[in-house]
Amino acid sequence: MSAPEMAAAHRNIRRLDRIGLALTLATVLGAILWAFPLYWAVVTTLKPEAEVVQAGVVLWPRHFTLDNYFHVLFDTKIGLWYINSLITSGAVTLIVVVMAAGAGYAISQLAFPGRQALWWMILASFMVPIQALIVNHFILMSQFHLINTLAGVVGPQLIAPVTVIIYKQFFDSVPKDFREAAVIDGANNFHLLFRIYLPMNWGVTTALGIITFIGAWNLFLWPFLAVTSQEEMNVSVGITQVFDAFGVKYARDLATAILAAMPVAIVYLIFQRRVTQAIMLSAGIKG
Amino acid sequence: MLKSKRTEIAVALVLISPFLLIYGVLFIYPTVKMVQLSFTNAPLIGAGEWVGIKNFQRLSFDRLFISAIWNTVYFVVLSVIPSTLLGLVVALGVNRLKGWVQSFVLAAFFLPYILPVSVVFRVWSWMFDKDFGIAQNLIAPFNDGQHISIFRTVPLFMPAVAFVTIWWLLGFNVLLFIAGLRNISTEIYEAAALDGASRWTQFRRITWPLIWPVTVLVLTIQLILQLKIFDQVYLFANGGRADATMVVVQYIYKQAFQQSHGGLAAAASLVLFVVIAAFSILQFQLLRARGAT
Amino acid sequence: MVPLGTLGVNSIDASIGRSAKKAAAVENTMGGFEVFRKILSTALLTTALYAGAAQAKDTIVWWDFLGGGDGVRMKSMIEEFNKEHAGSVEIQATTLDWGVPFYSKVQTSAAVGQGPDMMTYHESRMPLGVSTGSLSPLSTDELKASGIQDSDFGPANWKAAQGPDGKQYGVPLDIHSIILYYNKTLLKQAGLLGDDGKPKGLDGLANWEAALAKLTTNGAVGLSVATADGGTIWRIFYTLLSQQDGVLLKDGKFLDGDNLGKATTAIAEMQKWVKSGWVPTKTEYPASIALFTSGKAAFHINGVWEVPTMVDLAKKGQLFDWGAIQIPAIYAHPATWADSHAFSIPNRQGNPVDPAKRKLVLDTIHWFNVHSLEWAGGGHIPAFLPVQNSAAFKALKPNSDYSSLATTAVFDPVSVLAGVASPVYDAAGNYVLPATNGEMVPADAAKQMRDDLQSQAK
Repeated sequence: MSAPEMAAAHRNIRRLDRIGLALTLATVLGAILWAFPLYWAVVTTLKPEAEVVQAGVVLWPRHFTLDNYFHVLFDTKIGLWYINSLITSGAVTLIVVVMAAGAGYAISQLAFPGRQALWWMILASFMVPIQALIVNHFILMSQFHLINTLAGVVGPQLIAPVTVIIYKQFFDSVPKDFREAAVIDGANNFHLLFRIYLPMNWGVTTALGIITFIGAWNLFLWPFLAVTSQEEMNVSVGITQVFDAFGVKYARDLATAILAAMPVAIVYLIFQRRVTQAIMLSAGIKG
Repeated sequence: MLKSKRTEIAVALVLISPFLLIYGVLFIYPTVKMVQLSFTNAPLIGAGEWVGIKNFQRLSFDRLFISAIWNTVYFVVLSVIPSTLLGLVVALGVNRLKGWVQSFVLAAFFLPYILPVSVVFRVWSWMFDKDFGIAQNLIAPFNDGQHISIFRTVPLFMPAVAFVTIWWLLGFNVLLFIAGLRNISTEIYEAAALDGASRWTQFRRITWPLIWPVTVLVLTIQLILQLKIFDQVYLFANGGRADATMVVVQYIYKQAFQQSHGGLAAAASLVLFVVIAAFSILQFQLLRARGAT
Repeated sequence: MVPLGTLGVNSIDASIGRSAKKAAAVENTMGGFEVFRKILSTALLTTALYAGAAQAKDTIVWWDFLGGGDGVRMKSMIEEFNKEHAGSVEIQATTLDWGVPFYSKVQTSAAVGQGPDMMTYHESRMPLGVSTGSLSPLSTDELKASGIQDSDFGPANWKAAQGPDGKQYGVPLDIHSIILYYNKTLLKQAGLLGDDGKPKGLDGLANWEAALAKLTTNGAVGLSVATADGGTIWRIFYTLLSQQDGVLLKDGKFLDGDNLGKATTAIAEMQKWVKSGWVPTKTEYPASIALFTSGKAAFHINGVWEVPTMVDLAKKGQLFDWGAIQIPAIYAHPATWADSHAFSIPNRQGNPVDPAKRKLVLDTIHWFNVHSLEWAGGGHIPAFLPVQNSAAFKALKPNSDYSSLATTAVFDPVSVLAGVASPVYDAAGNYVLPATNGEMVPADAAKQMRDDLQSQAK
């Protein structure tokens, strides 16, 4: 480049940096605003009820207290519920992701009779509201003697059309050259799936795993219907029976709710970097 | 070549058979039952008598059901496109950052997604509480110093619930968009930057077209998800003018669980399914036409 | 199988005496120091329960929906029962989400032969439970065999647990209603407090409105009510309707004849309270309580279940001098909405509760009735007349201040559309609530409520 061109490029870069800085600031500010309601909820649970309903905005508790959490932690079976949630959510996630990857790959890349019909059935299952099917699921699980078991809680959750749909779309967008090159090299379908398609989509797999796990952890209506004893309840069902006072209990209600969500949030925050990296793993088109 | 075709089918079978088994038992069978049920007057659980299309006729005359459909469409308009576009914007923002700043920003936008709907409900009804909610400090100046009960004021209800829903579910869209953005090679951007293309041009010419498949995917998923909206609307309307803001799945829930009208609820579910299918196909065709240009 | 009769349920008075002590003990709330004791006792109790479960000869599976303050009391009553019958009978109780989810779960479980041996049930929801075949009828003979008879309960209370076929589907435990909480200090300042510490001069429409107006000053309003909550609105509306001898449902017709006018009158009155500034508009449930307890409202209308809240606060010295009485007779005569918790046995298809277990369950129900003084600590009025009329209950404060409402209590209409979380409650939220808050004309609200409910009745 000539000297004037280089000067122009430098000016551009500086201007870009200012815009870049502005964009970064806007993003960070947006993030802070987005996270504020959660911060506010947590702060509320650390205040005594009387302080909660006072006038004025108090962004940090004047009288710090953990009372609102004690009752739930020590008077209920919440430890057991956490474990149940972990088992059922983990099982659902593992099975769904494996099945969906396989099915998504098959629909995306393989030719077999009934392929279109299968795809339409999956789309259709996404369009039917779960409330319409839930009673039939209950009857089915009852016939299999799976009521009030963790397996019964897991069963109907294995219908996860979204996961298949997303896998199929992402597998579709893998460029054909990769496939052709590998086939020429003598790869069979399993090689293709495990050496190319999946590795190129670890980000999606991680994302889907997280989403599935969270969905399973937070599910209420089905576990509520399927479970009759406290020992088999998951967290979202268990906390609805927390004995406490009526009356003014903003802080206590929020504390109970936050306790239910906390483990997943903590795990996410701890593994935040790994998760971000996994998602950010560049699929990279070389060359 | 016949051999490889047969192998292909065999492999496909292996990959989809557990899937098919579970779907057969837990989706096909219950859905068939549901369709059957919609022609009967069955209660929530148990058999009923055949009544032909009486349930569907009843639905067509039910003012509440019709308004539920309109409310659902209104909610979709308020939430689907904004949440998709916002998801893309946030994903772009996060993608540019590095290090702990990136982690913080991603966590802030994603953490709401981790929460169950009951927590989201409690957090936001507390934020907006008419007497003690902190958001009232922002609202009151625009309303002669008076607090407003957001969720108990009918015209404000849907926008408020849409707002909360976007806050809650944005993380899902952001994740998908980030995964999609990472599939675009950085070299294309570098080349464009060297050619002097501005940020906006880069977005319009590179990002937007290349991310289009993911955008379509997100739009479609959000469309179908929000047409099935229930939990937030139910929770925020509970105890108030629930009929005015009722959505279709809420109607189904009410008929099935509150009044034990299993047949009628099944019929409503079937109608909803047709509506969702119609909308999805319509959107898909529209978007495909756009994407081709 | 050891019949309960031999296990020490001797004289009713002795039991009531024990319950009185228990009721007092439950009042202790957790202080910080208590926490450590709690942890230890939880661990010990868990071990004890598991050990105990291994020994118990019979178990009763019990479902209730009593979370919240009630749940604390019920839990302690169950513990007492289990302790008293250790080695022979044990109640295994599970609490489930209140409202529509609970009733649906009972219905679906019973239909597939699952479900508990006994459960709590709102009397107001029994018509629906009977129509869906979820409840098992209790014969007069088996009830008598366990010491349960209709003469021990108020006639309206007992009848409300019957189905349209006249069969008995439940045994009442309590009557719960709405009452008028009041701030003695503020009332005294306005000259509305009698020498007995109770409000005076509230009877009759003119007096009531004058009192509200007088109590609404710059610092406080006359009355706080959850004006954003359909359930609260329903209960007050129904009270005002009944005080005019109005009836919501008769012979399958909603708000028929002059009942429509009476409904309009009731709604118009509620609208007047808000419009005149005596009652704040669109207040959410917890906020309405907070307004009262912080001294910003002289009166508060809410269920008896908030009595423990007031008692707790007063004990911590965080509440003014307060009291509670029956809702005054604003119209022709006193009447108050009421509902009742009852015990029922589910109708498990293909796996019914066997006769021996039924006897055990009914004996248990009788035990709970006999000991219902402890339950009264939650603000409720025991349905069991021997307890309701006992000296111990008459001495229980503040319950005895408002227990007079039991004689004029009006229960929800008997209909599958009525009761907790029902279309009737929804209609109150859809029509009476907006009218109260000034968004609908009262006459329209009454008419639309009638039309809506009539169209759902078939």
